[in-house]
Amino acid sequence: MTTVAVPTDRHFITAWSAVSPYGLESADYARGVTADVAADAGDGSRAVPVPDGHAGEQACLVPGFEVREVLGRAGTRTMDRATGLAVTAVRELFDEASRARRPVPVGTGTALVLATTLGSAQSQHDFAHASFTGEKPYDVPAQYMPNVLMNCPAAASAIRFGLKGPNTTLAGGRPSGLLALGYARRLLAAGRAERVLVGAVEEYSPSRSWIEHHTRAADETPGPLGEGCALLLVEPGNGIPAGRTALAELLAVDARVDVDDRLATTAEACVRAALAAAGVEAPDVWAAVAGGLTGRTGHVETALLRRLFGPEATDRVHVHTHIGDTAAASTTFQLAALLATAKGDPTSHGRPAVITSIDRDGSVACAVVRLLGEET
Amino acid sequence: MTARRVVLTGIGVLSSIGNGVTEFTRGLREGRCGAGPITRFDSTGFRRQLAHEVHDFTPSQWVRHTPAEQLGRATQFSVAAARMAVSDAGLDPADLRERPGLVTVGTTDGEADALDRLVEAQANGTVPADLDPVAVGRLAAHRLALAVVRELRLSRAVPSVLGTACAAGNYAVGDGYDAVRSGEADWALVGGADALTRRTFAGFHRLGLVASDRCRPFDADREGLLTAEGAGVLVLEDLESARARGARVYAELLGYGLNCDAHHPTAPHTDSVAQVMRLALADAGVKPEEVDLISAHGTGTPTNDVTEIRAVRQVFGDRPPRTVALKSMLGHTMGAASALGAAASALALAHGFVPPTVNHRTTDPECAVDCVPNHAVDADLRVVVNNGLAFGGNNAAVVLGRHQES
Repeated sequence: MTTVAVPTDRHFITAWSAVSPYGLESADYARGVTADVAADAGDGSRAVPVPDGHAGEQACLVPGFEVREVLGRAGTRTMDRATGLAVTAVRELFDEASRARRPVPVGTGTALVLATTLGSAQSQHDFAHASFTGEKPYDVPAQYMPNVLMNCPAAASAIRFGLKGPNTTLAGGRPSGLLALGYARRLLAAGRAERVLVGAVEEYSPSRSWIEHHTRAADETPGPLGEGCALLLVEPGNGIPAGRTALAELLAVDARVDVDDRLATTAEACVRAALAAAGVEAPDVWAAVAGGLTGRTGHVETALLRRLFGPEATDRVHVHTHIGDTAAASTTFQLAALLATAKGDPTSHGRPAVITSIDRDGSVACAVVRLLGEET
Repeated sequence: MTARRVVLTGIGVLSSIGNGVTEFTRGLREGRCGAGPITRFDSTGFRRQLAHEVHDFTPSQWVRHTPAEQLGRATQFSVAAARMAVSDAGLDPADLRERPGLVTVGTTDGEADALDRLVEAQANGTVPADLDPVAVGRLAAHRLALAVVRELRLSRAVPSVLGTACAAGNYAVGDGYDAVRSGEADWALVGGADALTRRTFAGFHRLGLVASDRCRPFDADREGLLTAEGAGVLVLEDLESARARGARVYAELLGYGLNCDAHHPTAPHTDSVAQVMRLALADAGVKPEEVDLISAHGTGTPTNDVTEIRAVRQVFGDRPPRTVALKSMLGHTMGAASALGAAASALALAHGFVPPTVNHRTTDPECAVDCVPNHAVDADLRVVVNNGLAFGGNNAAVVLGRHQES
C-alpha cells in the first residue's frame, strides 16, 4: 500500500460536512450527488415549490430544516436560517469525526472561516422593515441585532462549540468558498491556527430569492436556488492526528478579476496559473468541476474546462443540477461533491482535480487539489 | 524562505473629521469632533439625532470606469480611499497591475444602506418584482473589494471582503500583512469601509447605546457611541520594494493577532480581549513595556470601555501606556473603525504625536487610563497597538512600529 508522505508546510483536507438539500449528513450528500441524475425525481434536482418566492418559483431546500428541531431549544431562540445551517454543519463535522474516534479539538487552535453573500438577507430585511413599520423607527427587535451582521453564522458557531481561534466571515461572490480556502491557507502558513474549518453558507429565503432574481443577467437560464452549508477541515501536514485520513491535498488557489472585459482570457490565465503553482499538467486532471452559472458567463467557464481537461474530466462530478444554485456556498459544495465522487472511484487516487468559479461581475477563481483516496 | 518585513506606505481616508491623509492628520492633531445632525436618512421619530457623516464627497471624482449609481455608498468610499492610498504611496495603479496583490476590505454593514432603501420602498407599497435592479445590484458585500479591483484595473489582485463586523478593518490589515510577509502578494490594499445606515442606527438606538450629544470614551458620564461612516485604506508592501522605489514609509507593521470570544453575541469578554493583545504582541515580538500607545476600540459605551480597559490592565499592568479612543472624534465607523485606527496609529508614529480622546470631562475610575484628554500631545512613539473588537466576539489587534532607515 502506498504511503502518502505528509510534509509540514502543506495543507490537507481531512474531513468535510455538507448540510444540503439531500439532508443533514455528509452521507446523505454523498449518496445524492453520486446517484445517477435520472434516478432522481423530475428534473433531477431536489426543488420544491416555495410559496413566498416569485411566481411559480421552486427551490432546493434542506429538507425539513427547522432550526429548533434540528439543534434543540437551548441557545437557538434567535438563530436565523443561515446561522442554523452553519451551526449544524459544524456539528455534523464534529460528530462524524467523534464517531470515527478522531475528534476535532476545539479552543484556541481551531479557526472557522465562513464565506457567505450577506449572511441572512432575510434577517437584515426583517430588521430594517421593523424600523419602517413600527410605531417608532427604533422599534426594531434588538435581540436580532447580531443577526443583521454577516458574521452571525460564524460567531454563533464559535459560541456553540467553543471555537476560540480566528473566526472570519468572508464575502467574495460565487467564488467565495475558494477565496476562503486561500484565506485559511494564509492563517495556517502564518501559524495563526492549528486547523481551519473552512466553508460557506447560504440560506434560501424570500429576500435572497428576490435579490438573486434581480441580479441575474438576461441571458441566464437559471435553475432553482439551493441552500445549505458545506465545510472542509483543513490541516497542515504535521497537524494531522494519527488515524485521520488526508482526503486531498490543497495544491493551489488562484483568484483574480477580469478588468478588461476579456473574461475568457482572464479565466484561462487563472486556471493555468493555478495549475502551474500546483505543478499539475492539464491531461493528468481527473475531474474539473465548474461553478454552475448559466448564460454567456457560465459558458465561458464550461467551454474552458472542456477544452483544457476534456469531457471525461468535466462530466465526472455533478453538483448544481442536484442541489440548485448555492451562490457563495457553491464552490465548497463543488469540493465536497468532488471528494464524495472520488471516494467511490479508485481511478481518482493520486490524481489532481480542479474546482473553478466565475461570477457575473468578472471574478474568477480556481483551486487545484490532489485526491488521495481513503486508505483505511 | 525568510519572512519579509511589511511597511505601510500609503493612506487613504474618508472621515467625519476630514478626507484625505492631510486633512485627517490635521483633524487628529486638532482634536476635531465630526459629530453632527443626521442627513443621510430621515431621522424623524428617533430620540437620538446625531451621527458622524462624511462630507464633501463627490463619487464621480473617484469612480471613473463604472456608472457611479451602480455602486453603493460604502463601495464608493472604498474605491475613493483606495485611489487616495495608492496616490499617497506615490504609486500609479499601473505599477501594481501586473504584480500579485490583495485587495481586502473589511465592513460591518456592506451596502445595508441600499437594502434599507429597498425595504423602505417595499414598506411603502413597491412589490418585490418591481424593485430597482440597479439598486439590488449594489447589495452584495463583496463589491466593496471588487469595485476597487475593477476601477484600478488590478488584474492580478485577489478581492475579498471580510465581514467580521466592527473589527473587520484590522482583520483586513492582518490578512494583507500575512500575504505580503510570506511573499504570496507583492502588495496589499487593505482597510475598511462603511456608510451610515438607518438599520444599524436603529439597532444601537434600541439597545440604548447611542449617545445624546457626544461620544465620550472612558468618561464617567459616557452615554454610548455615535454611529458613523468612513473608510480607511492602507498600502502595504515589503520593505525592500519600498526602499527600492524610494517610498515614504509611515510605519512598519510588526504583527497582529486575532481570536474569538466564543462567549456572547454582543458582550465582549475581558480575558479574550486581553488574549488578542497578547497574541498580537507575541506575533510582533514586542514586550508589553515596549508599547508607547494603545489606540483602543473605545466605543464609549459603558460596557465596552470597562471591559477593554480591564483587558489592557491584564496585559500591561497597573501603569498601562496612554490609551486613546479615536471614536470620540470619528464616531463609530463600524468596519472602517480599526482601519482608521491603524491609519491614525501610523500617522502618530510618523509625525510624533498622540491623537487625543476628545469630549472628555472626567475619567471614569473604572477606566483609569491616560486617555490624552481633548488635546493632542507630541510624543516620541516607537510602538502602537491598535485594537478592534466586534459583536460576535471577533477581536483583532495590530501592532505598528516606527520606521527608521538605519
